[in-house]
Amino acid sequence: MTSSDVAVSLRGVSRRFGWFWALRDVDLEVAAGASLLLAGPNGAGKTTLLRILAGVISPSRGEGTLAGVALADNDGIRRRSALLTIGGYLYDELTALENLRFVSLMCGGDTSPTTFARILERVGLAGVADRRVGAFSSGMRKRLSLGQLLLRPVDVVLMDEPFASLDDEGRALVEEVVEDMKAAGQTVFLASHQIGESLRLIDRVAFIDRGSLVFVCAAHELAERRRSHFEGGE
Amino acid sequence: MSSATQPVPRSADSAGEGGGRHEFLRRTGAIVWKDLLIEVRTKQSFTAMAFFAALVLFIFSFAMGADVRLLQATGGGLVWIGIAFTGILSLSRTYQSEELAGGLEGLRILPGEQRAIYIGKLLGNLVLLLTLELFLFPIAGILFQLELWRVAAPLAGVALLGTLGFSIIGTFYAALAVHVRARELMLPLLLFPALVPVLLGAVNATTLILTGDPDGVMSSWIRLLVAFDVIFFVVCTWIFPLVLEE
Repeated sequence: MTSSDVAVSLRGVSRRFGWFWALRDVDLEVAAGASLLLAGPNGAGKTTLLRILAGVISPSRGEGTLAGVALADNDGIRRRSALLTIGGYLYDELTALENLRFVSLMCGGDTSPTTFARILERVGLAGVADRRVGAFSSGMRKRLSLGQLLLRPVDVVLMDEPFASLDDEGRALVEEVVEDMKAAGQTVFLASHQIGESLRLIDRVAFIDRGSLVFVCAAHELAERRRSHFEGGE
Repeated sequence: MSSATQPVPRSADSAGEGGGRHEFLRRTGAIVWKDLLIEVRTKQSFTAMAFFAALVLFIFSFAMGADVRLLQATGGGLVWIGIAFTGILSLSRTYQSEELAGGLEGLRILPGEQRAIYIGKLLGNLVLLLTLELFLFPIAGILFQLELWRVAAPLAGVALLGTLGFSIIGTFYAALAVHVRARELMLPLLLFPALVPVLLGAVNATTLILTGDPDGVMSSWIRLLVAFDVIFFVVCTWIFPLVLEE
């Protein structure tokens, strides 16, 4: 792969919180436009890896690039990636529309009312655009966080438990949005425990356990590779 | 795939990069707009501050009695005690909306110049404190029998300089204290030593305005306030991104 074909390249990336190594020596290369599921048990280091790729935290050790930008350049990384977190970053006292406007103003995005209307329509919140987010259910909050993500035209999209808190309709919405992102050429990372739903959406799986990247395989190989990993007592 | 289902085109991303001054102003404005909108809706900080400030002034007024000369000599200091105490209440809530919305990470994750976040928060605090002072000074004028209307212009200047210095330091220390467990206790402990020069300048300048300045020393207190504001504004703005980063 040439450097322009690579969305994410990590070499020996590690992250320590105090004395605890949440991530150890991760080497990973993901092609531009690819989709990858980060799988692994709770506390494996999936969210830590996503936060590094989002430019929220820096690696304690190692190096890498995201869309050609070095991981050390936090602002450059933030311009090229967007992170959907489990809880989202929403202000309860602002309306759905105002939360979108705030993100758009902060990121230099399009602030036209038609853009916000289109996105709210897309995530199924058009009818509650002027309602304060404090009155939203967790599923509605997740939808609005997804709307914030759609505002950000980035190369790499990072989703941490995108199906959590969502009903069937909401999960279908996430699937559609991910498919759209892939079709638009964006690289998508999913970290999820809903393996079945995620496998339908992604090309490859990276399995992380106790902070280490154990293997990377095609989606259909996951079950076999996991079995051999755990039976091997690694 | 219909156009309604597509994310915003990626070509728009470059608009945010290298936007320089325009990007900085837009981000600053977004923070001020968001913070003041939340304050207008909740009135959490302002209501608490106004009641507390009025209470402080009333207590001092009763304690001082009816000695007009004493009231006028101490009025400047008493007003600034009210501003300092109530200001702490406001400053400790500077990043409250972010904490409720998932932490400072929610701001950090959005690309762009992070010093704009500091300036936006600083302006929000400044507007809130100056609005409070619009009520506080007239109340102090009545309680301490101060003829404020005769010295309104210089008083407004000193109030602006003092409040600006207070907000510059306070907004910065509030960010430092976000991750501290006993924040309500730690913030005043950290803040007050750093505020000594600005409080000294503001109290002395206000007192000289109210009682007269026969020795012509007020300009030195004003110079102290200006120097404090400029130096700490530059230093705090410069190192704020280090405070924001985890």
